[in-house]
This record gives sequence, C-alpha cells and structure tokens, in this order.
Amino acid sequence: MAAVDPSVANIAKPNSGQARAGWGLVAPALTLMALILLVPIIVAGVLSFTNYSLGNPGFDWVGVQNYERLFTRSTYEKMFVATFTYVITVVPISVGLGLGAALLVHSLGRIGDIYKTIYFLPVMATLLAMAIAWEFMLHPTIGMVNRALEVACGTWFEALPFFTNGCAEGFPLWLGDRDYAIWVICFIGIWQGFGFNMVLFLAGLTSVHRELYHAAEMDGARSGWERFRLVTWPALGPTTVFVVTISCIRAFQVFDTIEAFWPQGGGPNKSAYVMMFAIFEKGIQQNLIGIGSAITMLFLLFVMFLTVIQRWLVERKVHY
Amino acid sequence: MVLILGTIIVLAPFYMMVSYSLKSPGEIARGEGGFFGRQEMMIDPRCVALRQPGRSDIEAGSARFPGQDDGGVQAALLAETEADCSMRPVVFNYSKAFTEAPLIRYLLNGVIVTMSIFLIQIVVALPAAYALAKLKFWGRDAVFGLVLFCLLIPVHAIALPLYIGLAKLGLTNTYAALVVPWTISVFGIFLMRQFFMTVPDDLIDAARMDGMSELAIVWRVMLPTAIPALLAFAIFSVVAHWNDYFWPRIVVTGNRDLFTPPLGLREFKGDGDGSFFGPMMATATVIVTPLIVAFLLAQRRFIEGITLSGMK
Repeated sequence: MAAVDPSVANIAKPNSGQARAGWGLVAPALTLMALILLVPIIVAGVLSFTNYSLGNPGFDWVGVQNYERLFTRSTYEKMFVATFTYVITVVPISVGLGLGAALLVHSLGRIGDIYKTIYFLPVMATLLAMAIAWEFMLHPTIGMVNRALEVACGTWFEALPFFTNGCAEGFPLWLGDRDYAIWVICFIGIWQGFGFNMVLFLAGLTSVHRELYHAAEMDGARSGWERFRLVTWPALGPTTVFVVTISCIRAFQVFDTIEAFWPQGGGPNKSAYVMMFAIFEKGIQQNLIGIGSAITMLFLLFVMFLTVIQRWLVERKVHY
Repeated sequence: MVLILGTIIVLAPFYMMVSYSLKSPGEIARGEGGFFGRQEMMIDPRCVALRQPGRSDIEAGSARFPGQDDGGVQAALLAETEADCSMRPVVFNYSKAFTEAPLIRYLLNGVIVTMSIFLIQIVVALPAAYALAKLKFWGRDAVFGLVLFCLLIPVHAIALPLYIGLAKLGLTNTYAALVVPWTISVFGIFLMRQFFMTVPDDLIDAARMDGMSELAIVWRVMLPTAIPALLAFAIFSVVAHWNDYFWPRIVVTGNRDLFTPPLGLREFKGDGDGSFFGPMMATATVIVTPLIVAFLLAQRRFIEGITLSGMK
C-alpha cells in the first residue's frame, strides 16, 4: 500500500511534484551549461578589455585597445584575409560538390552506395593524420602530386602555362609557397567536408516525393535541369540553408591542418594565419590573454551572426 | 566518370598513407615498389648504430670465431648485428610506430577520454532531456530556450577562457582537463528531448503508477526506449572526440602520459627526419583505422549518427 501513496500524491498534485523533479533533473545540466558555456563567454568579454596574462597577480583596463589593434595591425589584417578567403572558398565549393555528388549518387541507386561510403571516409578519418598524409603527397620532391605532374611534361599538357612553368622551373612547393599555401588548406578543407554535405543532401533528397517529379513532367518540365530547378532545388531549401550554415561554422574553426603544416607562424608569410590559430598562438602560446579574448569575441560574433541569418532564412523562406 | 575521378582524389591520401606505412625509406624516397613495396629485407640504421661492436665485444667474440684476427671478428660481429637488425619494411614501420612512442598508451588515453566524455554527457543530458520533454514545470520553456541558445556556441571558440579557468584551478595536464569542457552536450540534450517527445505518455504514467521515482523512470523506462538515438549520439560524440586535436593540444603540454592519439602523431612528426616517413604513416594508419573499420562495418548507423545533427 505504501507504494501507492506517492503515486496518488503525484496524480493529485502533479504540478508541484513535477516541478521539483523537473528542476532536479535539469539542475546538473543547467549548472554545467552556465559554467562551461556561458561564464567563459562573459569572462572572455571582460578580459578582452584588459591586458591580463596568466600568472600575473592583476591586470589593467586598457579599454578598446585590443580591438583597435585587431583592426590596425597588419598581422591581424592577414588573419582576416586568410579566414575569409578560407570560408568564402570552402563553403560554396564544398556545398556545391556535396550537392552535385548527392544528385549523382542518388540517380545511381544501389551502385551509388559505394561512392557514398568512399566520399564519407574523409569525414571519419582523423584530420590531423590526413593532414600529414597530404603533406607527404604535396612534398616538393618525393610527393605523389608533383611526381604525377612531372609525368605530364613532354606531352601536350606542356602547352598549358602552368605546366610550361612547372616543367621548366619545377612545380610549386605548395605548402612552402605563400601564393599556394592557403589554397592547399582550402583544398583539404573541401576534400574533408564535402562528403558530409553530400550525406546531408542525400537525406534531404530521399524526402522529395516522387509524385512531384511526375507532376513537373506533366507540366512540361522535360529536361533534367528543369526538373532540378522546379522540384529538387526548392525541396532542398531547408537542407541547403542548414548545410551552408554548418559548413560556415566548421570553416571558421579550421585549425588542425594549419597547425600540422606550420607549427610556428601560420604559413609562409602568415598567408594561412586563420582566427583559431591566432587565438591559439596569441592567447595560449604567447599568453596575451587580452588580445586572444578579443579575437574570441569577434569569432563568436561571426558565428552568432551566421546562425541568426540561418534562423531568419529558415523562418522566412523555407515553408512549403 | 566524375564520380570515379572524385573517388581517386578522395582515396589518394588514404592509399598513400597505407602504402608508405608498408615501404622502406629508400622506396619512399625513390617512389618505387607499387603499393606494397618489394618487402625486401632492410637494415635499421639506428639499431646497427646502437650495437656497434666495441673493443670488449671483439675480445669476447674472438672465442666464437677461432682463428681470425680482430678485424675479422669485428666484421663477423657486424654481419651478425646487421642480420639481427634487418627486417621487412612492414615490420620495421609498425614496430617502430609502437616502440618509438608509447602508442598503446596514447590509444588507451583516446579510449578513456572518449568513453568518459560520452558517459558523462549521457548522465547529464538524459535526465535534462526527459524533464524538458515530459515534465511540466515553471521555467521549462526558459530552460529550453537557453539550450537552443547554447547550441550556437562552438566549444572550440571559447577554448581560451576555458583554458584560463582550468589553469586557475590547476587542472591543466590532467584527464579532467581533457574531459570537463565536453561534459555538457547541449546538442545531446536537444537530440534526446526531440526523441523523448515521441515516447507515449502512457508508458510514463504506467511507470509512475508502479511507484517509480522520476529518476528511476529516466534510467529504467526512458533509457531503453532511447537506444537507437543514443547509439547515433554515441557515434557522433566518439568520432568528434577521437579525432579532436585542438583541445588536447591546448590543455596537454609536455606530459606524454596524457597524449591522445592525434597528439602522439603530432609529436612523431615533430622529431621526424626523412627516414621516419614509414613509421609515421604506420602510426597514422593505426590511429585512423579503428573508426574507419567501425564505419565500414556499420555504415548505415554511422551515416545516420553523423547526419542526426542535420535533422534539427
């Protein structure tokens, strides 16, 4: 009988009992959320106005000096250039390739599954290990890439300006060359990320109703392109918005490849000095917490801004 | 056709990584030997250098090679060492990968860290998700709003303040530092809440009738129903933290006992001269293989798990 009493009480007064249980169950998560996610943002916000260093007893308020530096020093200009070059290159290409691959794989049916598996491999692999593998591939003398390019010497390929130069003076150093470094990083970013986007698009594609294609055909959409434009693309709207946002956020966070290639300095002539690397170098290695916090705040601002745009797009446009 | 070209580009680094891990340094430098290399016996130069016969060895050895002068004995001993030190490139690369650095230890660390992160995430997230999905209480919407807001915060981005906090607590270079920032998975809460919304209320009411406490309901009723979602979340979490390099790089400095697999590989690269390409690629292969094999075995689950984040 004793076992019945609490349940009776529960049914009689569900609200107070549930409220206590509810808060009790939520409390650990809430505490950790505040301590690990919210407090650090506030801390970073405060420290970005100081010249604090770990180990110092105190700090001075320096106002907006840290932010001012971010926008005036040439190092940070390079940082913004590198970060945005990376994001602006990687996001459209990896989303585009992901969509293209998804459409092709989808049209192949069963055989397409093999490609799906293969294209997804880079997503699973430890990026750092793969970065090192790429470093060997791109090694100027013993790397596979330049060896493969050398094979083309003496054939009609030599007519292309790139090969003419390469065969005469040697092919690029890739990672050592400041004109190529950031593009190599971009390439690896695309290589690693497009399989993920493809899988997301595939999930979106399977939810497109077959009848819609038939209906479009009835209405005179004969070519594949027309069907894509009228049916597939609008139906993928929500997926696309999500894929673009998540790609952007991931692209902003690029770090592993850059640290693996250039542990000091972020690339030849700082051409690949992205924000995450700057936070790492300034804030942690050089113990300039103030400036590191300022970069952190700016970084968060970009990410929040992107997500707000996404939410806005989702709410506004993609109801079908 | 396009797909096949894509396949080549996607697979090239994997091919190279495994191939190099099988070849001798000479073959790597000259680019010969196809995929497997020729697997000729090779001599480990370090091993020979370490066991260069000295004066005393020669005297001791003269008994075993009677009738030879010192030079002859030395040559015979050298030949013996070289025979001892020669091995197939595969064996050389992989044995070096495991002996040059405590790779087993690193792998073990990787397992410890990813498992504890996952378990704590579940212990924290599951009750919260249940409360947010099935209990009515004042302030619930506010808490859920907070969860949605926190979804926007990439933990990597706030690494610096987290690092300062951990340093203040004296926790850098501990397992705790590797695990703590990841103990709260807002995404996990969100995911499990969405899943729990679909569980019928009758099930919970029946459990209450049986006199179960709310906490017991979470673990004895909700947990079993949530296995598919949990599995997906497990894959998501384990993949992310096994491969994570940024955070361990920040909080573990110097203490090799705490290195996770990517850090171990990084260290290998740091002191690598040219002849170590083989062992390094062997290390890389060892680190990448567990997830790849698991993925190939349970592809469907993996792809589901990873794309779950897309089903918001």
